Amino acid sequence: MNASAMGNVPAEPSGWHFRRIAWHWRYDEKRELWIGWWTLVVFYNLYGLLFFVVARTQPPPEPSLSPAEVVQWFDDRHRGLLYGYAVVFIVGGATAIMNATLAYSMRRMSVSRAFAYSYLVIYALATLPGMLIMGVVCTVGAMRPERDPELMRWLYDFAFLSFEGTMGVFLIGSLVWMLAILLDENGVFPKWFGYLNLCNALTEVVVAPAWIFKSGPFAWNGAIAWWINMGVFVAYTIAFLTLLRKMILREDFGSGPLPDLSTAPALAPPVSLKAAR
Amino acid sequence: MTGVEAEPGFSGREIRPASPARAVPGQPDMWVFVLFEALVFTAYFTVYVVSRSRSPGLFLESQAHLNLGVGVFNTLVLLASSWSVARCVQAARERSFRTALTNAFLTVLFGFAFLVSKVLEWAAEIRQGFTFTSNEFFSFYYFLTGIHFIHLQIGFVVLAVAVHQLWSPARRSQEAIETCATYWHTIDFLWILIFALLYVMR
Repeated sequence: MNASAMGNVPAEPSGWHFRRIAWHWRYDEKRELWIGWWTLVVFYNLYGLLFFVVARTQPPPEPSLSPAEVVQWFDDRHRGLLYGYAVVFIVGGATAIMNATLAYSMRRMSVSRAFAYSYLVIYALATLPGMLIMGVVCTVGAMRPERDPELMRWLYDFAFLSFEGTMGVFLIGSLVWMLAILLDENGVFPKWFGYLNLCNALTEVVVAPAWIFKSGPFAWNGAIAWWINMGVFVAYTIAFLTLLRKMILREDFGSGPLPDLSTAPALAPPVSLKAAR
Repeated sequence: MTGVEAEPGFSGREIRPASPARAVPGQPDMWVFVLFEALVFTAYFTVYVVSRSRSPGLFLESQAHLNLGVGVFNTLVLLASSWSVARCVQAARERSFRTALTNAFLTVLFGFAFLVSKVLEWAAEIRQGFTFTSNEFFSFYYFLTGIHFIHLQIGFVVLAVAVHQLWSPARRSQEAIETCATYWHTIDFLWILIFALLYVMR
């Protein structure tokens, strides 16, 4: 496993891409972390593609549609909903690897393990209403377009309110991460990212009026409840993907402060590597 | 916020006066927060102004039901809190920690005066029948003052960190105190914009 510590690792091939990937697969000590990171990158891209382009359930439609308009809405994206969510249900489990990678960053900090545990549990729960239940309800609607329009509207409301219902999870999840980063003495993430977590948490609060309004900027498709919130979330996601990548590059599998990128880490001896895993 | 005290620079091992070589007061990281929040609020304000331009009559008429006197009092009390927190930072720089502590408590007091007057103002509006869902103007009114109110409550946690720093000679990190003050000034800065948009703009 830890071939480099045994001193029989061939040099990393330059040039041809597949050989380099094969080399990393075989010898890179951070292989598992990179798998986690790439899962995050691929999943977020796939999520964007499936929800925004294939199923077209995002950006969300108006909450104030009449039953007839809701039937039309389901009709317009009949195939997209069925095929798009079929893929979502196949890859949905990848969220476990993503959450584990994010929780790993907290385990690498000098803080209590309780932070990583809370994060894992809360996001494992969020996957249900935020992604799977919403998907199931949308496909239920799409499967029998001849159903009573009032029932179709019931499904429509249920799907989008289920999605909105995850806001509190993102709120608490961001605060957990924030507190861990601000308390951490290992410098896993810069403190500004701790504060950015607070910004993200505050924009989740702003989604709360979506439960009250059926139109305007505070409705579930509104400028404030959805567009600004999503803008902040995209900036936040780009920030944490970049910082997680840096964290993996800096990782030395020790338990003290993470070294800087400029002083590239010489990997820790095998004992501590095993301990870290 | 409470986390800042555990950071190495905040632990008291590194007591250093503000040096003129530093680009910004306190942690530069907090300025990222300030800038990002400024951007987010600019977006909220833009949505408000666009909505207002669509139905100026409704906004003007609803605005007349707000108590401008309370708004002015809110603004003055927060300006006073910004002044006292600035004096707290200055006193800490001069190592007059007793004065700094007094000013930190004065800031808490001003903040609390704002909090109480805001709750009373909301109660008065609700008694008159103006709630979150009454009309578009009042939705914005409760939303903007409400999200600011949450920032203010976080501000009390931040002030508690500043007091905690000033309390013991073993801590007293100038950087931590300045970081807390930066956050508090942001609350004041955002309020002035909210006040101008909700109460004054015609």
